[in-house]
Amino acid sequence: MAISQAPCSIGRSFERLYSCLRTLVRLSQSLAQFFIDGFRVKYFFVHRTARGLIIPLAIVFCALLANAGAAWAGKNSSLEIGFVGVPPPGFQNVLLNVISVRVNSKATAGPGNGGWQTIPAPPGVGGSNSSAELQIDLNNLQDTPQLFNTSGVKAGTYHVAEIRIDPNISGYLVPTCPTAPPTFGNADGCITYPLQLTNTNTITVVDPNGIVSAKKGKLSQLILKVTLQSLVAPPNSGGAYTGTVVISAPTTPILGTITGTVNVSGTPATPSSGTNNKNRKLSVTAEAIGTNTPIATAQVKSGSYTLFLPAANNFGTLYDLAVTGGGTNLAAQRLAPLFPLTNQPLAADFNIGVPSSLGNLSGQITDGCKAKSPIVGATLAILLPPDVNSTADCTINPEECVAVLTANTDNSGDFPLPGSISTPPMFDNIPALPKGGSYVMEVTAPGYDPLFVQAQPSMGNGPGGCAPIGSTTFANCNLTLSTGYITGSIPITPPVPGETTLVQVFAEDTGTNNIESSLPMPVSITHSNAASCPSGPFADCVPFTINVPTLPLPGSMTPLPRVFDLFATTIDLYQGNTDPYPGHSIAVESEVVGPAPPTMPGACATATPVPFAQPIECIGHGSVQGSVTNANLGTSVVLEKPDPAIPGNLVQITTTPVVNQSENPTPSNNYSFCAPGGDVYAVQRLQLPTPEPSEAPSAAPSPALDGPAVPVVIPPAPLYNESATPSGTPSGPTATPTPSAKCPTNCTNPDGSCPGICKPVIQGL
Amino acid sequence: MLSVNQTMRYLAGTVGMAALSIAIALALPACNNQSGFSGAVGNTPNGPRLASYEIVGTIGTPFTATVANSDSSWTFRGNIPLSVFICNNDLPAQVIATKTTSSTALLSLEIINANHVAQLQSTSAPFGTVSVQAGGTLTSIAPPADPDLRIFVSGPASQKYQALVEDSKSGFIISSRAPTLIMFDNPDGKVDATFFGAQNFGTFTVNMTLGGIVVASVKQGPNATIRQP
Repeated sequence: MAISQAPCSIGRSFERLYSCLRTLVRLSQSLAQFFIDGFRVKYFFVHRTARGLIIPLAIVFCALLANAGAAWAGKNSSLEIGFVGVPPPGFQNVLLNVISVRVNSKATAGPGNGGWQTIPAPPGVGGSNSSAELQIDLNNLQDTPQLFNTSGVKAGTYHVAEIRIDPNISGYLVPTCPTAPPTFGNADGCITYPLQLTNTNTITVVDPNGIVSAKKGKLSQLILKVTLQSLVAPPNSGGAYTGTVVISAPTTPILGTITGTVNVSGTPATPSSGTNNKNRKLSVTAEAIGTNTPIATAQVKSGSYTLFLPAANNFGTLYDLAVTGGGTNLAAQRLAPLFPLTNQPLAADFNIGVPSSLGNLSGQITDGCKAKSPIVGATLAILLPPDVNSTADCTINPEECVAVLTANTDNSGDFPLPGSISTPPMFDNIPALPKGGSYVMEVTAPGYDPLFVQAQPSMGNGPGGCAPIGSTTFANCNLTLSTGYITGSIPITPPVPGETTLVQVFAEDTGTNNIESSLPMPVSITHSNAASCPSGPFADCVPFTINVPTLPLPGSMTPLPRVFDLFATTIDLYQGNTDPYPGHSIAVESEVVGPAPPTMPGACATATPVPFAQPIECIGHGSVQGSVTNANLGTSVVLEKPDPAIPGNLVQITTTPVVNQSENPTPSNNYSFCAPGGDVYAVQRLQLPTPEPSEAPSAAPSPALDGPAVPVVIPPAPLYNESATPSGTPSGPTATPTPSAKCPTNCTNPDGSCPGICKPVIQGL
Repeated sequence: MLSVNQTMRYLAGTVGMAALSIAIALALPACNNQSGFSGAVGNTPNGPRLASYEIVGTIGTPFTATVANSDSSWTFRGNIPLSVFICNNDLPAQVIATKTTSSTALLSLEIINANHVAQLQSTSAPFGTVSVQAGGTLTSIAPPADPDLRIFVSGPASQKYQALVEDSKSGFIISSRAPTLIMFDNPDGKVDATFFGAQNFGTFTVNMTLGGIVVASVKQGPNATIRQP
C-alpha cells in the first residue's frame, strides 16, 4: 500500500515533532523499518528534532509536573462508595450502568467547577480505565448495600455528591409478566427494555451540612441511595422506558466496620533479585466466608487497618480475612457475623512473624484424561487455618480454612498469570515456612475433581515444589486433575429453517443447587442438524458430553459413583437482541449416576444415562412471583422442576433472594422468577441458618430447604400471529391469537405462530 | 554568534514548538488511545478499527465463553478480567459467557467500541450466562474457526499496551491491557504481532496457539514480537 505522506505536507516542524511521537516498527512481512503508521524516518531528522525539542519538552514537562503535583496534592484520605437501591415494583431486574461518583466540598459546585474528587468504577471489575462502568441491579440492593469503589480524595467535608450514569446506555429494565394487558404495543415481559433518563445523566445530592467528612489518613464511607421513579412505559414495542434517577445520602452509616492491628515482629524479608523483586504491600483482604471472592482490601498503615463492608441488618454477614504481602508471614482469620452498626465494629488483630526467605510457586495444570491438554482457567488457592481454628486440617476439612493466596492458569495451563513490575503475581514472594514446612494448595476447575497438594515456595527464583499429601518427596508443580464424562441426549423440537436454538447443559449434585459443571460451549441446533434420539418417543435430540467430578465431596460419606441432576436451558434472542430469560422449556433429568473415578491415569470413565423424558420446545416466557412470610436476610426461594420420569424428584433450577424486607419503608418480602411459561414447577423456601452473634463459625453455613415445595403452573403465553391456526398447550388454557406481526423471537412454530405476551402466576410462601 | 534575525527566528521557533507541544500534550490524553496508530500500517492495509469484548467483574472468577461471528466461532475458558479481540472480524458477532462457579461473583460482558461501552450485560447468578451481540443479529453459531489461531497476552497484568497484529493482507491495531486473547479469523498467510509497552512496562508474556497447540512463545519487554512459525 502507499505510505501515508500527509504529515510531510504540513510542514517541516510538524514532521520533526511527528517523528518523535511515533513508535518504530520493523515489519515482519517486509523487514522494512517504518514508524508504525507508515511514516518513513531518517536518522538525522531524529537527531535534529531531538535537539530542537529540548526546550519545548522541558516546558511541557514542567507544565505536566505542575498538573501532576496539583492532581496528587491533598489526596490524603480514602473514600469508599456504595449503593443501596429503591427500584420500581414489577420488575425482575432494574439495571443502571454507573461510570463514576464524584464529590465536591462546595455546596454550589456545578459540573464544570473545579474541586471535584472522582471515584471511578474499579478498573478490572468494571472494564478498562477509560471506559470502566459497573452495572448495578437496584432490585438486589434493597436490603444490603453493594460496594462501588474506594479511591483517594482530599481530606475535608463534602457537601455535594454526584453519580454519573452512562449517557448512551443508561441501563435496562426487565419487567415481570404483566398482570393486565400492557398499555403499549405487543410488549412481552421478561425481556430487556432500554432505559432513558429524563433528567441528565449526572445526578447530584446536596447537603449544606455535609454529606461525608473525609479525615486525613482515614477511610470514610458514603452510601448513596439510588431511586428510580416516575417510570413511563415505552409508547411502542421495542421502545425505551423513561424514568428519573434520584439519589440521596442516608445519614447513618450502613456498612459494617472491621478494624484491627497487624503487629509484625522482626524484619520483613526482601524478595530475591529477579523480575518481580517487589513485595506486595502488607494488606488485609476481606473475602466472603469459605470462598476466594475478595470483597474489599485495606492496606496496613502504621500497623492498623480499617474495612467497611456490606452487612445484613439483624442477620449478620460472615467474612474471612487474609493478611498478605509486606515480606511477612501469611495469616488468616474467620470472623463472627458483621452487623451494620458503628457501635459494633469487629476487631481482628494479627501478630505475625517474618519468614527467613521469600519464594515463588509456578507450574502447569493439565487434564488427567487427555494427554498434554492444559486446563485453562483453573484456580489454585493456598489454604491457611484461621487463627480462631488454628488446628484445622486443610486437607481433610478445607471448608474450615481460608484461601489467602489465589492464582489462575493461562491458556497453556501455566500458573500464575504474570503480575507487573509494581504488583507481582500472588504466587511470587510467598513466605517460606520454617523447617521445610509446606502449605496446603487446593486446585479446582469446574467439572474436575479438586486436588490438594503440599506446596513449597522456591528458595530464590525457582518454580517451587509440590508433593502429594503425606509425601515428603517434592517435585515440580505440574499437576493433573481427574474427571469423568456424562454423555447424553435431550429431545428437542428443532427450530424452523433460518432459526437456531442454543442449548446449555448444567450438572449439579443431586438434590442440591450446587452446580458442578456446564458445557464449555452451548450446542447449536438448527432445523437440520439435530441428532436422532437413541431411544424413546422423540425423533430429534441434542447430543452432549459434560465433564463432571468423580471423587466424593471432601468430608462426604456419600458412596461412589456420585449422582447428579442435569438440566438444560436455552440462550434465546428477542427482536435480535439477547433474551435475558429463555423462551424454551427447561429440560431436567434427576439422579443421573455419574462416572466412576479413573482406575489409572488417563483411564477416564463415561456414564451414559437414558435420554431426557421431556423435550426442549418453544413455549414462551412466564413469571412467578409472591411474598414470603417471616423472611429474613438469609431467606431465598428456589425454583424447581419435577423430573417427568420420576415426578417425585425435583431438580433445582435457580434461586433468588427475598427482597424488600422489613428495614424498608414499605416492605413486601417478595421474590420473582422469570421462567418459561406453560410448564409445571415448584417453588420452595431456602433458608440460611442465622449466624450466632459473636461467634465465628468453623465453616460457611449451607442453606437448607425449609418447608414444602409448592407446585406452580405458569400459564402459557397466548399464541402470537392471527394468520396461524391457534392451538392450546395441553396443560393450559386455550391460546388466544394476537394481532399479526413478525415473531419477535427465535421461537417460531411451523405454522408461523409464536408465543405472545407472557402471563404471571402469584404464589406466596 | 547569532544575528538578531537568527535569534528571533530561534526564539519564534522555540515558542512555536513549545505551543505545539503543549497543545499535543494536552490533546493526547483526550484522544484516549485513538492516537498513535490511527494511520496506515506498513505495507499491509489497515484493518478496520476493532471492537473489544471485555469480560470483567470479580477478579479471578472463572468462566467459559463462546465468541462467534458470521464465519467462525471460538470457545475458551478463562478468568476475569479478559479482553478479547477478533482480527478480520466479519460482523455480526456474538459473545456468550457462562460463569463456572457457584458463587455470586459478578461477571460482566462489555462491547467497547471507540472507547465507549456499546453493550453491557451482567450476572451474579451461580453459573449465570450472559450474551451480547454486535453489528446485527447472528442467527446461528458458525463452525469452529479453521485455522484456529489465537494469541494470548497473559502479562504484565493491567498495564496498557498497543499492538500491531497482521497477516500478509491486513494489519490491526489493538490497544488493551493484559490479559488479552486475540483471535485471527481466516488469516491470509502467516500471522505475527508486535507489542509495544511503555518505558517501565515490564515483560510481555505472549504465546500463540494454532489448533490448540502452542506454536510460539515470547517473554520480552517493553516491546515484543511473536511470529507464527
